[in-house]
Amino acid sequence: MAKFSLKVRRFKPEPGEGPYWENFDVDLDPDLSVLDGLLQVRDQQDGSLSVRCSCKAAICGSCGVKINGQSTLACKTRLSEAKEWANRSNGNSEPITIEPMGNMPVIKDLVTDMESTHWQKIRRVTPWLLPKGDPPEREYIVPPESMIDVTQTMACVQCGACVSACLSMEADPDFVGPAALAKAYRFVGDPRDGERKERLHDLAQDPHGIYNCTHCFACVEACPKGVAPMDQIMRLRRIAGHDEDIDDVNNGRRHELAFVNIIEQKGTLDEALLLQESFAPGIKGKLKPPRGAIKALFDNIPTALRAIRSGKARSAEKLVPGIHPKLPGDAQKHVKRIYAHAEEHRIELNLYIKGEEFGGGDDNEAEELAENELQGKEGAPA
Amino acid sequence: MSPAKNLKFAYWPGCVSRGFTTELHGSMALVAEKLEIELVELDRANCCGAGVIAEHNQELADTLNARTFALAQQTGLPMMNICSTCQGAQSECRQRLDADKAYREHVNGALAEEGLSYDPEGFSNKNFLWVLVEDYGLQKLKNRVVRPLEGLRVGPFYGCYVLRPRHRLGYDQHPERDLYLEKVIEALGGTVVEYDGARKCCGFPVITMSREVSLRQAGTHLGDAMDAGADCLVTPCPLCHLNLDMQQPEAAKVTGKDLDLAVLHLPQLVGLALGIDPKELGLGKHVASTKWVIDRLEPVSA
Amino acid sequence: MPTHDVLVIGAGLAGQRAALAAAEEGVSVGILSKVHPVRSHSNAAQGGINAALQEDDTWESHAFDTIKGSDYLADQDAVEVMCREAPEELLYLEHLGVTFHRNEEGKMGTRAFGGASAARTYYVADITGQAIMHVLYEQLMKASGEVARYEEYFCTALALDDAGRCVGAVSRNVRDGSMELFKAKAVILATGGNGQVWKPSTNALICTGDGIAMAYRAGAKLMDMEMIQYHPTTLAKKGFLITEGARGEGAHLLNAKGERFMEKYAPNKMELASRDVVSRAEQTEIDEGRGFPDGTIALDITVVPKKRILEALREIVLVGRDFAGVDITKEPIHIKPGNHYTMGGVKTDFDGRTDVEGLYAAGEVACVSVHGGNRLGANSLLDTLIFGRRSGVHAADYVKGREEPVVSQTLLDDEEAKIAEIVGRERGKGRRVSEIRDELGAVMDKHVAVFRDAEGLQTALETVRRLREEASSCYIDDDGHIFNQDVIGAVELDFMLDNALATCVAAIERTESRGAQYRTDFPDRNDDEWLKHIDLTVNGGDPTVSYSEVKITDWQPMERTY
Repeated sequence: MAKFSLKVRRFKPEPGEGPYWENFDVDLDPDLSVLDGLLQVRDQQDGSLSVRCSCKAAICGSCGVKINGQSTLACKTRLSEAKEWANRSNGNSEPITIEPMGNMPVIKDLVTDMESTHWQKIRRVTPWLLPKGDPPEREYIVPPESMIDVTQTMACVQCGACVSACLSMEADPDFVGPAALAKAYRFVGDPRDGERKERLHDLAQDPHGIYNCTHCFACVEACPKGVAPMDQIMRLRRIAGHDEDIDDVNNGRRHELAFVNIIEQKGTLDEALLLQESFAPGIKGKLKPPRGAIKALFDNIPTALRAIRSGKARSAEKLVPGIHPKLPGDAQKHVKRIYAHAEEHRIELNLYIKGEEFGGGDDNEAEELAENELQGKEGAPA
Repeated sequence: MSPAKNLKFAYWPGCVSRGFTTELHGSMALVAEKLEIELVELDRANCCGAGVIAEHNQELADTLNARTFALAQQTGLPMMNICSTCQGAQSECRQRLDADKAYREHVNGALAEEGLSYDPEGFSNKNFLWVLVEDYGLQKLKNRVVRPLEGLRVGPFYGCYVLRPRHRLGYDQHPERDLYLEKVIEALGGTVVEYDGARKCCGFPVITMSREVSLRQAGTHLGDAMDAGADCLVTPCPLCHLNLDMQQPEAAKVTGKDLDLAVLHLPQLVGLALGIDPKELGLGKHVASTKWVIDRLEPVSA
Repeated sequence: MPTHDVLVIGAGLAGQRAALAAAEEGVSVGILSKVHPVRSHSNAAQGGINAALQEDDTWESHAFDTIKGSDYLADQDAVEVMCREAPEELLYLEHLGVTFHRNEEGKMGTRAFGGASAARTYYVADITGQAIMHVLYEQLMKASGEVARYEEYFCTALALDDAGRCVGAVSRNVRDGSMELFKAKAVILATGGNGQVWKPSTNALICTGDGIAMAYRAGAKLMDMEMIQYHPTTLAKKGFLITEGARGEGAHLLNAKGERFMEKYAPNKMELASRDVVSRAEQTEIDEGRGFPDGTIALDITVVPKKRILEALREIVLVGRDFAGVDITKEPIHIKPGNHYTMGGVKTDFDGRTDVEGLYAAGEVACVSVHGGNRLGANSLLDTLIFGRRSGVHAADYVKGREEPVVSQTLLDDEEAKIAEIVGRERGKGRRVSEIRDELGAVMDKHVAVFRDAEGLQTALETVRRLREEASSCYIDDDGHIFNQDVIGAVELDFMLDNALATCVAAIERTESRGAQYRTDFPDRNDDEWLKHIDLTVNGGDPTVSYSEVKITDWQPMERTY
């Protein structure tokens, strides 16, 4: 047993007072969770403390909160760990702070309104399978790895920790967001779904869709189930842009292509060219610029002028798009060769399938697995 | 590495430090000289892809970065970068390359013609911030300070790519990497300003796709830091610098705030404390004026 | 007043499946749950779902395994229905989008499970329940036009009309505290089990036996209430479940001397004997001093290839790492038997009908009975889906052409008064809800567990009677309306005490050992006297006991060995 101090963000809507902090001391085994701490408070000190919880085992997804500012599940965070984190930089006297999740209205204490935020966004992505035609007589025959692949997003418990942590949503509450986009991948990646292109089109064209993710990894860090929502968003972009060739109004596809082409030609980034090519690629783009491109170019003129004035872009190769130097010697040739090689194969190594997180992936184990399957583990009578 | 020997790195400066933020590349060279860190520049190396190439073709991003790692390994030296984004993008590719031997062999196949091959064994790639704390040492840095940044209130701004996800960025072994900027500011004699945005996103990755959202992020953090009384921000990421500094007047328009906050590159802040002339460090090349910062520091006594 | 043809209470697998099935029949459906549907406890079913779908497997084999597993207390006609319909149900789920594990040919692959004579357990890694439930919820969202969802609504009582038919329920909107009468021509209870009556339990905090208590109070019979499953592999300190899938994949059970002790108890099936057998074996080892000092047994998963662990037991890797600090790919994890499943419940036929007209029950709240004295692993998901669907279809049929029911406002007034009375109790006078709950959990886990005897059961019964008294005056802290979980906790405690009372009475009554009921004072199965169900009916204090026959079709009771 050990003593822990919990500093809890309280909000009681009925008296109509603003939120406040309240400290509680609990005495518990350090291996128990922050949720166990909150439950001890509720059981022994103040039964009015509200927190959603059920399974206590990170399966039901009820107890999403912020602990020491980090969005997570209260049941999955050990008290000892939370205390250590709270005291990383100062002494050993700081309490564990527990707040309701971010990017959602608070109903009471640690209970947030997920319906008007999280669930509305989930429903935004048409979250059910839309199979092509009638189902087969038996099961759909699909590649085994495709099912493991989408099982990564099925592992989502809809706790909202990623939504709480999302830094794009903080700046744009309309952003479809990490949980809903991961849910979207669950169908886009499912070979049984018949509306892949329509789904991608929808999410690529939406100004609050896949191209509004700011690539901050906050969702990847927050997710208690290894769903890695941002990775799924990047895969949506990859499939929308490359596989389906969707030229979105948000400039996502054009920006990606411009970037990729510049590196192929120059090896390093030519920012001026990137800006120009992102908005109005190639000659064709300049003669007949895509929708929004002219406005976007104009929007960027003040920034470009400032870059010139401050000396950032005073030399010719920084001012004029396209004179940026290539890599020295034959290096650029090798980069181009790499492009050809990678475009030919386009291997997408999925670490969720590989199980890298736990340090797997060496050859012996693959052999072991094969051997195991030969012995009839799979599908044979026990 | 034995303390007697000087540090020596295969140095990847990244694209932006030689493009829109040449003051970063320049100041790094000056600071390295002062600290007696030897840098062997990887001038044949290519862009890390900044996550954008991976978004296009994962294998391409992995191969391009494997090439950079292999070039570094040819020098026999550990690798150093000066850009959070390079660190993050390269660590992501490296995670995949290190996880699967067959995949690595496939990627190395594409490098063979140039006589290159990436071998995870013993390879190291660190941002200058990590090098400063883990290899150089804060005490040693402190000893080198000739112009302590006394009274200078500095807000740290990390950049997402050196913060998250922790399991990919070596936090298992170095759990305090997300506190290093504060430690460096203090070692240089400055005062750390706590504000909400230190570990948030600058918004740069969506500047061409979702301009307003991007600028709102930058503007919010700048405003928060100013409200907290910061004299300047410091960042190890030149892309954050672009959004926080070059776009600052635009961010001001979007957030409706009167923003005026200098944003220094990490080597610039170190350089000031080491007594290097602000002009040489390129402090005149910023959009947001750095005059306020320079005026607050004692002139260097010759 | 919210009015539907069919009202489903509870939104786990059984409830969601019932709602979808009823809606498909074209009637108006409301589904109400005290938590958001995806928080329901069906999530926790890790290992898989049984169906005889492989070419060399038969539903008869599945049925026999189930009946043998039940220690011949299951009703064989109901088991037949479940096992016959399993393959079709599984394909239905696959077509909806459940991401079932595939073999190299791209077909659904299986794993081995306890008590089964063939590997017929289909699975999604070790999140099978979660995967199925989230897919059903996708379908519920799709069916928004046909199925009204009432998420975070807590039911306090069922509504009966003058003829004794069930015509709705009273519910509290958790979010704002308002009480409402829901009117329906038929009500389907799908509120799950009562694991929280025991402490520790693998069950979630929401598993408080609400539906069992509400149906019982409304006059429905309860059946097999003495049959409480203790799962063989629960985490020592916290009661978390380690899936049977681990043993299905080949994991061993070892005592402190490193012996694979199942050799002594089930030489053929070893670790994959039925759960009651394995739990008793473990408890015997522990009681006879061959367990570890903390009263545990070791589950050694390291004998399973690492690659396979990472693919098929990912959740257990996380549970081990996050909740026990153990890397299960490298070292054994310490476990013991722990409360897990309510085989008994509201007595129903195989269309979900209870003894109260208009009231149906499906899933863990119900007792059809397909599990009898002991449920086989991976049969619970199947039970929820088959009987959830059948209840939904039958209820839809029942309501067609039926007149609008008449619901009395008095019930709403009574329930509002009941809540107000609890909120109004004087603080500090009487006991806290949590004290009573903890005492209940401890006494049940001590005396109504793997091994039972008359003396212990009597102690438990008397304790439960006293706690019921005390509960009538226990106090709470929260006097608000919005998200007052405190007052819900007090009502749940009352529900739990009714469940506990029923279990104690039934366990005392059955003076033999069968399935999960092992009486050290009556160690043998006694088919002559006890091949029958114990039914319980509400009667003021202790329930009235009656008996009903076990339906035997093709499988005569035999000695049970594994």
